[in-house]
Amino acid sequence: MRLVMALSTAFVLCASAPLRLRVEIGPGNVAQETRLPLLYWVQGIETAPALKQAGIEQIAAPPNKLDEWRKAGLNVIALSQQDLAQRVKLLVPRVAGRADVASATRRPWIDSNGWRFMRAPTGKFYYDLSERGTGKATLAIAEAWAYQADAILKIDPADLAAAGKMLAFLRALPHTNLPLIADIGLIDDGSAATGEVMNLLTRRNLMFRVVAAPAPQLKINIKLGSKEYPQSEASDPNAFALKVRRQLGDENRSLRIYGTEVVISRLTGDGTRLRLHLLNYSGRDVDSLRVRTRGKYARAELKAFGIEQAGPEDFVVEDGATEFTIPKLGVYALIELPAVN
Amino acid sequence: MKRRTFVQLLAASPLVSPLIEAGAEDIPKYRVASRYKPAATPGMPGPYPGRVIAVKSAKCLDAKDERADPAVVREMLERGMRELTREASTIDAWRRFIRADDVVGIKVNAGGRPNVVSAPEIVAEVVRNLMAVGVKPAQIYVYERFQGQLDEVNYAPHLPQGVTIIGAERGNRAIDNRNYDPLTYVEADFFGEDDTRSNMMRLISEKFTKVINIPNMKDHGATGVTGCLKNIAYGSFSNVARTHYNGVSHTLSFVGTLAAVEPLRSRTVLQIMDGLRGVWHGGPFARTKKYVFYPKRILFGTDPVAIDRLLLDIIEEERKAHGAISVWERSVKYLKADDTRARDADPNVNIIIREPGHIEYAAKLGLGVDDLKKIQVQEIEV
Repeated sequence: MRLVMALSTAFVLCASAPLRLRVEIGPGNVAQETRLPLLYWVQGIETAPALKQAGIEQIAAPPNKLDEWRKAGLNVIALSQQDLAQRVKLLVPRVAGRADVASATRRPWIDSNGWRFMRAPTGKFYYDLSERGTGKATLAIAEAWAYQADAILKIDPADLAAAGKMLAFLRALPHTNLPLIADIGLIDDGSAATGEVMNLLTRRNLMFRVVAAPAPQLKINIKLGSKEYPQSEASDPNAFALKVRRQLGDENRSLRIYGTEVVISRLTGDGTRLRLHLLNYSGRDVDSLRVRTRGKYARAELKAFGIEQAGPEDFVVEDGATEFTIPKLGVYALIELPAVN
Repeated sequence: MKRRTFVQLLAASPLVSPLIEAGAEDIPKYRVASRYKPAATPGMPGPYPGRVIAVKSAKCLDAKDERADPAVVREMLERGMRELTREASTIDAWRRFIRADDVVGIKVNAGGRPNVVSAPEIVAEVVRNLMAVGVKPAQIYVYERFQGQLDEVNYAPHLPQGVTIIGAERGNRAIDNRNYDPLTYVEADFFGEDDTRSNMMRLISEKFTKVINIPNMKDHGATGVTGCLKNIAYGSFSNVARTHYNGVSHTLSFVGTLAAVEPLRSRTVLQIMDGLRGVWHGGPFARTKKYVFYPKRILFGTDPVAIDRLLLDIIEEERKAHGAISVWERSVKYLKADDTRARDADPNVNIIIREPGHIEYAAKLGLGVDDLKKIQVQEIEV
């Protein structure tokens, strides 16, 4: 691991790209840089003090306002409405009310963008939270960060302070990318049906990665349209995800979450440590979330956004697995677990 | 045999015991995690398996406003406890179960508010007797899963200062788990739900040395009846509503499985079933008085299975008197899955195929005696 730049000098300005922090040479196909999402700011120059007060030092803005923003002392990247429109628009991340849709389950319906990021790791995305996404800026920022997505956010100005706090929180986290941990390989044919399968696997915390061909080291490989996974089964993605889960077996899953059905996780690791991102889509704190991960790990380090707490509780290592409780989870938390030899 | 096939077959013979028909594949795979060992004599079934004292009184409720008469309730409790233990004095009867240094949890049932809950007069009398034994108010906890329900019932005016009234969660929203023990649970996948664990309340595993169970006499849409077993099991663990869904219920095996988890099984030493009022349909709730009836009795014992077996007949008899279908009815023609409005409007509607066989199942787990021939009932009139 080589850290090339220190945090304070790591701001790299790239046209229409989010803020990048700390460059690292990573292994294999792991992205070498971590990146934070960027705010697309269309408010007037008079809002510069509010941005600075929120700790925002860099924004994306319409090209005709670049000089004004630079004079105001902010790093600014030109981004036209046309540039924005070329990006993939994302859902407002949340637990959605779906009164108009008959549900096969009683589970909360989560609007998550994780599968979109998984499908297009080099894609360019944007969230429009300016009208119907008020209060969701922190979750959107954390979601984009957890998946290391190239994302721009248009937020409600009322969420500026919260967004600034989340960005500051994320800047203080480790900026090293680790390989994704997966139990399942999925061959993505780019179809809507496969996309929805990816969505359900994500929402059910079934750890998968996109593969070009079946990967023998993974416990399960899915190719929609194959004999084992007929196309017709994709018409019920919930049942499809359940079938995959039962094939895998809960005891063999790299990660289990207990105590909530509104938290989506992303798991990475490199053999020496495990890194777990937890995203809470509910809009409310979750108390005492229990995590189980396969493998033996030492006491975890917990960093939870907006919540002061000592660390994971009721830490247990037994039967080849490690379990612990997150006492309170707000929008986002990161847990680092060093491996036990 | 798959569950669906099973339901269809039973439609033609609704009174067949489900345990006779159910194959082993119908019982979910359970994994029980607990650090606690059973007591030499676990509280359930305790020292009096198969023994039930039924104390009746026509005077226990005021004829006008149906309020319980505290003096009559006191006498009912004294007679019931003395008869159960065959002790000459009430305090000695209580000393059979409770010591002055015990920390006691009183499991009430507040789910049937406002009409049928564990009567405050009975709860108050239990507390008074605990204090007579020497238990300090600070060592006494009245508990339920949901604080909101306890607040609605409002036990506080009936209890001495210092007694704690506590719920594990504010409401049934599955986002507040801090009062549950992460190391004591039953794990099972019923319907493919993400959260497959039901955890025991921390108070039970970490604080209480004894538990007294005060259920009501109630019908239940998923279990047939809700008495001692259901009250102590589903009222002491998290994430239990997941067992019934879309007309199907796994309560047959889960109720007993939960009740048998240590330390709950060993520490639950006394069952006092409040039958001053009851609900013969629409349970476990009692939002209207439409289905409320008045058995005017209290049942005492240490064997939850024996008491619940009697309860089954009490509810069944009341339903029969009103021309309602049996709690054993499994025909899909009466099933309107999850339609609580239809259920509340018509006693011949089931929202789930009920599982009254959970009592027989609990007996097979060693929690008590369900064979009526082996249950000794002693009736007392006050």
